[in-house]
Amino acid sequence: MRFSTAAVLGLLVPGLSAMSVIPIQLELPVDFKPPQVFKNTNLVRNTNLEKGYVRETVNVVVENVDKQPQTDYYIPFPAEVFERVGGFEARDKNAVDKGRLAVDTTEVDSLSGKQYYVVHFPEPLAPKSQITLGISYSLLSSLNPRPATIQQSDKQYLSYSFSAYVPSVYKTETQKTKIKFPGINVPEIAQTSGLKSGSDPERKGSTWTYGPYNTAKVAPGTEYPLTVRYEFTNPVITASLLERDLEVSHWGGNLATEERYWLRNNGSQLAKQFNRVEWTFSAYQQLPSSALRELAYPLRPGSVDPYFIDDIGNVSTSRYRPGTSKKPANLELRPRYPVFGGWNYSFRVGWNNNLASFLRVAQAPNSYVLKVPFLEGPKVPEGIQYERVFVRVILPEGAHNVNFQIVEGSTTNGLPDRKQIFYTITGFKTYLDTLGRTTLNLDVDSLTDEARDSELVITYEYSTWDALRKPITIFAGVLSAFFAAWAIGKIDVSIKQR
Amino acid sequence: MAQSSLDALLKGSSGRNTRGLLRILILCTIAAAAVSSRLFSVIRFESIIHEFDPWFNFRATKYLVQNGFYSFWDWFDDRTWHPLGRVTGGTLYPGLMVTSGVIYHILRFLTIPVDIRNVCVLLAPGFSGLTALAMYLLTGEMAPSPSAGLLAAAFIGIVPGYISRSVAGSYDNEAIAIFLLVFTFFLWIKAIKNGSIMWGALTALFYGYMVSAWGGYVFITNLIPLHVFVLLCMGRYSSRMYISYTTWYALGTLGSMQIPFVGFLPIRNSDHMSALGVFGLIQLVAFADFIRSFLPGKQFQKLLTYMVFLTFGLAFTGLIALSATGVIAPWSGRFYSLWDTNYAKIHIPIIASVSEHQPTAWPAFFFDLNFLIWLFPAGVFVCFQKLKDEHVFVVIYSVLASYFAGVMVRLMLTLTPIVCVAAALALSCILDNFLVMSTPKGAAQAKANGNESKSLRSGRNPLVGIYSYFSKAVVTGSVTIYLLMFVAHCTWVTSNAYSSPSVVLASRLPDGSQFIIDDYREAYYWLRQNTPDNAKIMSWWDYGYQIGGMADRPTLVDNNTWNNTHIATVGKAMSSREEVSYPILRQHDVDYVLVVFGGLLGYSGDDLNKFLWMVRISEGIWPDEVSERAFFTARGEYRVDDQATPTMRNSLMYKLSYHNYQSLFPPGQAMDRVRGSKLPTETPQLNTLEEAFTSENWIIRIYKVKDLDNFGRDHSNAVAFDKGLKKKRAAKKRGPPILRTE
Repeated sequence: MRFSTAAVLGLLVPGLSAMSVIPIQLELPVDFKPPQVFKNTNLVRNTNLEKGYVRETVNVVVENVDKQPQTDYYIPFPAEVFERVGGFEARDKNAVDKGRLAVDTTEVDSLSGKQYYVVHFPEPLAPKSQITLGISYSLLSSLNPRPATIQQSDKQYLSYSFSAYVPSVYKTETQKTKIKFPGINVPEIAQTSGLKSGSDPERKGSTWTYGPYNTAKVAPGTEYPLTVRYEFTNPVITASLLERDLEVSHWGGNLATEERYWLRNNGSQLAKQFNRVEWTFSAYQQLPSSALRELAYPLRPGSVDPYFIDDIGNVSTSRYRPGTSKKPANLELRPRYPVFGGWNYSFRVGWNNNLASFLRVAQAPNSYVLKVPFLEGPKVPEGIQYERVFVRVILPEGAHNVNFQIVEGSTTNGLPDRKQIFYTITGFKTYLDTLGRTTLNLDVDSLTDEARDSELVITYEYSTWDALRKPITIFAGVLSAFFAAWAIGKIDVSIKQR
Repeated sequence: MAQSSLDALLKGSSGRNTRGLLRILILCTIAAAAVSSRLFSVIRFESIIHEFDPWFNFRATKYLVQNGFYSFWDWFDDRTWHPLGRVTGGTLYPGLMVTSGVIYHILRFLTIPVDIRNVCVLLAPGFSGLTALAMYLLTGEMAPSPSAGLLAAAFIGIVPGYISRSVAGSYDNEAIAIFLLVFTFFLWIKAIKNGSIMWGALTALFYGYMVSAWGGYVFITNLIPLHVFVLLCMGRYSSRMYISYTTWYALGTLGSMQIPFVGFLPIRNSDHMSALGVFGLIQLVAFADFIRSFLPGKQFQKLLTYMVFLTFGLAFTGLIALSATGVIAPWSGRFYSLWDTNYAKIHIPIIASVSEHQPTAWPAFFFDLNFLIWLFPAGVFVCFQKLKDEHVFVVIYSVLASYFAGVMVRLMLTLTPIVCVAAALALSCILDNFLVMSTPKGAAQAKANGNESKSLRSGRNPLVGIYSYFSKAVVTGSVTIYLLMFVAHCTWVTSNAYSSPSVVLASRLPDGSQFIIDDYREAYYWLRQNTPDNAKIMSWWDYGYQIGGMADRPTLVDNNTWNNTHIATVGKAMSSREEVSYPILRQHDVDYVLVVFGGLLGYSGDDLNKFLWMVRISEGIWPDEVSERAFFTARGEYRVDDQATPTMRNSLMYKLSYHNYQSLFPPGQAMDRVRGSKLPTETPQLNTLEEAFTSENWIIRIYKVKDLDNFGRDHSNAVAFDKGLKKKRAAKKRGPPILRTE
């Protein structure tokens, strides 16, 4: 019954059809070897370990050594690391403002077990000429707590393993690696021998530098494994899943946001069990701890009605400091219990905003432009890594011609290339809907809180008839109910002679 | 002009319509007041399920909504009563869950995105509105004046005796059962008045619904036959009665047998025998009545009467014989405790340990019913004055329910509806007489002819009426004050006594702002998030439902209390030494032990205060292993400090409560704020369990049961070794504990 109504009404609306786009991975031939058409003249890798994930920026001067102009530059990752690479982005350092370069991914090369990012240059690189690439990405879940179990108030140490030679499929002439640690307490740092004269690495503050090495003779793909271990007495906050709903209501003039988090602390686990006495004393003295105690969540100015709940109800240990029109509001979330290494905490937060500050009427008739944050999330110094983010933008019922794009600036926005964002457009039925609301679902793997400032622009069309559909439907429904009641009341069922 | 237009509205057929509309408006307002006065806890805290039993109902409802009706019916729950499990689908009253499931699915069909939790939380207030309506109908049958019905509806809407079980979040069977109770009685009165099969069948239908919703249906099962029996004894047999009773009994019994939990009880259980007996009796009486109309002879009639009595006597003896041989189940323990308040304490401590099964204290009547309790006898008196069939019903109900309410606190709930009816009858009787402005006409005439008729006094026709405006004003005014005070009292009681979820505790900070103590949910959520999905939690049975609902973990015992031995086992584990408890824990696959400890905060509802019940219940099963006396000092005191008995200090419960508590205080200053005593300096030594989690205010403490030692030592040796203590001499040591065998 409901189905047929929807089908009939469906005829009246132009083009609401479910569609989905799956990111395509380039196929590789069986005996694939990246063509040796480039060499890296100079390469500097900056590894930032200040947060609970690894952030790497590789600046490389690339020269075409082939006789033909070339466009495709391959960057290899082992297949198991590839899944944890987040927010991959490459730019031409000399034309940063032109935005990111187009990037594709390939499927796993079965022989070498590698998977590649393919950077496409905007115009083919002529033989002998050079281009400077700035490549940045983050590596999630690459930091291992060592020791894996600690006492409750012990310091926590993380270890990170990498290769002194930056993995590349091309020959590299000189290269060096700078590692930025969160502090100066680095109890274990691997020394290299024979790679360079003098001590290696060299320290400057909390930054250690490996190299520069002259690696013109070293075959591409050679590894020189190194391990560092450093103090990180902070929680390693990992969201295994974040579901984020943005619901647009034209009638209510409201943008409702709800986020559902499945958090985990990937730090060292407790060697013994949790001790409340010790925790009470250390919390009283404000000692640093590997446990997640509180999350600060800045909200946009004008955010109202925030809530913080989990599976069993309201979490009373939270505070909300409403902002002014300029100052952002701040939601202070305290989980019900301190989240130690290996512990989980899942919860949901939500709030409302005035739609007017997010929605503009476009030039074309009945068409609208919505600009919303792609990702918000708590802002903590130790950073948050998101293994999977699922954003759902629920547009009004009947919205059609939906398009979206991600705002690009001169600096990285922490998101991967649009090709790596899996998206679908579906319907979502709620609050007496007949057709269901047009919903844009975006699905991204491996993000970090660097994507906090990224923004999403959605354009769609929405006519007056779409806006009036629901009142008319309800009116018709109530009318038919009255009519049915009247008609049934007219039927004479008494057992008497007529 | 205004006068005449008002007349047009109030007189004639349009007057009837106006009054009808007014009545509907008043009823709607009453229903709205009933609903909104139950929302204190939602506004103050949140939309949350309260207390203990509602958590099970909520969990069952979620199961029903997720898995559909048939798998709910066949639900075998292996996450409770580990390792026994519970045939949940066959041991619950499904009416409540099915009702909210149906509401949920209707709303979902209309694509209203309602959460099942909100349906459950708001079900009880919603049904209280319907109860007010049903109460209006029931009282309307008792009195000609509709004001009685409206008053009764207003009373039941806000009376604390009913609110106590139906605030938002109190998602228990009573939430819908009181509506069904009142409505079934209304239909029964309607049936017996009209002698109509339709009303009788409707009574049976709602009786069936009631059976599916609450164990208290037995009250209806016994009250209706008793009503009929009393009417028969009063010589008021009529074919109306025969028709309505037989229709109700036949259909209603069939209906009630459809519920698996009830099954064949209606023909096998003593609680239901009175209905069957009266059914047989009424057949005999009807037969005798039929025969008598044909046979005039006096002797014959006598013979017939003897025959009737003989048959009845034979049937009664047969019943006793069947009960004795066990074909008919004997009376249940809860039933016995209704007649002998000490019965439960002696024979079934588990029933006595529940606070709501205690006898009612006298102030509770006033607390729960306020001025209705003293209008109640007046209302019963009014019924005696008229004493039609329906008034007999009120009288019987009043007598029975008053007795039961005096015996058990929770049965105050069944008393409340009839108190509202009776009080409304009495009050409407007063108001109908005193609120009439115009003096009776006869009086004026009598005064006018006063001088002439000086003849015989007896010849005067005295006119009874109230003439004085003063007395009218006094009575009306005082009734108004009582009514206003009633409203104030109800609001106060609801707000202060009945609106706490008891999952969340509220206290006030010095500046008057609210401070929420949320330890229960902190610990339950910790369990839910950070323990394996099938980690077995052992706790006292009070917390079983909450652990199942909030922590979503298997439990050993819960509030269903169907297996006394299993509960006693938990009691034994809690009240014994570690060496005895540990094998019990291992045998039952226990991973975590949860205790409630209020010592830090002064929260008196903690496990150490319930401890004696654990001891008593386990002593009932193992009298030679657990002894209540050993927990009292020589002077008979229950102490936890230095003077505590060795049995007490070695019991698992004592150790779990105070483990590590002393280190929170400067040496020697540890205080237990509930029992107001200073604790020993030494913290109890735990060997076989380790502290896994303690909530912020120490209310919930969770311990992990240690695995067997890797080197095969017993745990006390292992702990001593870890501490660097010298190994005790083997000669002094007792043999290794042997796993307990039954």
